[in-house]
Amino acid sequence: MATQGALATSVQSENDPVFVGVGELPSGRYPNRSFIGDLTHVALLALADAGMKPADVDTILLIPNLHSFDAQADLVFSRMVEELGIAGQAKASFMVHSGGSTSDNVVRTAAGLIASGHARTILVLHCERWGSANLADMVTMLSKNGIPAEWELPTGLQFNAIGALITQRYMASTGSTPADMAAVCVTLRKWAQLNPNAMYRGKTLTVEQVLASRMVADPLHAMECPMLADGAAAFVMTSAGNARARGLDSRVRIAGSGGCVSHYSIGQERDLAALGWAKAAEDAYAQAGWGPHDAQLAEIYDSYAVVTAIAVEGLGMCAKGEGARWFTSGAADPGGTFPCNTNGGLLSAGHTGVGGGTALLVEGIRQLLWRAGPERQVEGCVRCIIGGSGGSYMDSQVLLLERAGA
Amino acid sequence: MAVDPIVSAFREALGRGELLVQRCEDCGKLNMYPRHACPFCQSFRLGWAKSEGRGTLISYTVLRFGAPEGFEHELPYALGIVRLDEGVQLLCRLEPDADGGWNHFACDQPVAFVAKPAEEVQRRPCAWFGPAAGTGH
Repeated sequence: MATQGALATSVQSENDPVFVGVGELPSGRYPNRSFIGDLTHVALLALADAGMKPADVDTILLIPNLHSFDAQADLVFSRMVEELGIAGQAKASFMVHSGGSTSDNVVRTAAGLIASGHARTILVLHCERWGSANLADMVTMLSKNGIPAEWELPTGLQFNAIGALITQRYMASTGSTPADMAAVCVTLRKWAQLNPNAMYRGKTLTVEQVLASRMVADPLHAMECPMLADGAAAFVMTSAGNARARGLDSRVRIAGSGGCVSHYSIGQERDLAALGWAKAAEDAYAQAGWGPHDAQLAEIYDSYAVVTAIAVEGLGMCAKGEGARWFTSGAADPGGTFPCNTNGGLLSAGHTGVGGGTALLVEGIRQLLWRAGPERQVEGCVRCIIGGSGGSYMDSQVLLLERAGA
Repeated sequence: MAVDPIVSAFREALGRGELLVQRCEDCGKLNMYPRHACPFCQSFRLGWAKSEGRGTLISYTVLRFGAPEGFEHELPYALGIVRLDEGVQLLCRLEPDADGGWNHFACDQPVAFVAKPAEEVQRRPCAWFGPAAGTGH
């Protein structure tokens, strides 16, 4: 029994998976907040946004934290079922993990469970305590993740160096200048001024400031490197049939998805200036039946400016080789022709580990639910491009989301 | 824990001043990094080819802050991705110039393998590259 919505593409079967609510806590340094406390708060925020209570949830999917493996084990072993009072009622609680792109893969997992009838309502949870963790420990951990111990660890490679290797190649291939790369960070900082949850709200940034900051890993300056943050985000997915039965008129569906895992180790990537975006985008647009210029906004992983510059090219949002200059033009800014990373992204809202991509996804859903608030809501938006990556930028993941009417 | 034979053979060669690339004895294709089965034909009959040690610098960076544990006293140091003339590629360290800098490197320039003493390879089992003769700028 399909219902004709506001869009021709929103005809939905009963089991079509939809997003119906989001929750988020401010990102930054919050030493007095606790891991399980934040998870509980953000879960209840997302459920309230969906007009639900914990008892309405049958499956919990966990996006991992990275600050502590003991804390991660709490999630793996279903602690949140007990904390939320649904022990004995919950059908399943488990973790999905692919680093920075986990949010994209958790959506695919949840969508499959709902569409196949294995789950009805799924709560997805994330919390990270990076901002309050020991920085030296986190640097050590991040210098091992996504780096083969046999072949690359002995060189002294670490995460900023990976971002720098991609940036250097991208600048050589495209002729983008240091000012062009810095412009991406400045656009993100403008958006962060409009997001009450952003770590850098209230702190403006100019291209000159970025270029004057110290060189960390040539050609990356300190202000082009992400700041580790505490944060928490959550969202609720259910079937379209259940959403309609509950009177949830605002919902968001998945029009298409695509992905490409292009390498594991950065030394084996054959095209550092392109990564896997073109293939991921092609598959996603083909499934959705619409293209980049049918979307009103995009939320794309941005732990370094270059990751996003490469992505907007592969996603067809601008011409090939023009990604960084496209940001320089102001197209992605507040009030621009194609708003991009409207929460400030990882670089200005805060890098919450695996959750950086989750925060961008949550922002995309929030925009399509028309709940982003008066300051940064993209007026009347109905389609959003979500781009995910992470680790050594081994994968490029695309979700195409659209608002589904009653 | 024993070091995997595909790792120890590669490292022992580095200590002798040789850069090895894994070669499948069935399909003849080269693999980097070395694998446990040939990624092209799935054969387990894997051997080695000695690389000529010449290639192109695909990208590079100089790490100045935030070294991983154990590398703090080596800062700054340079890392590069080199595509060998044989077609396979690897991450390596880059030799500084006489002034201790790396301004003599640029993307797409020809580079050459630099042999290191066995003690250095023992400590840091990775390949080093420098500008190919006559190509520094």
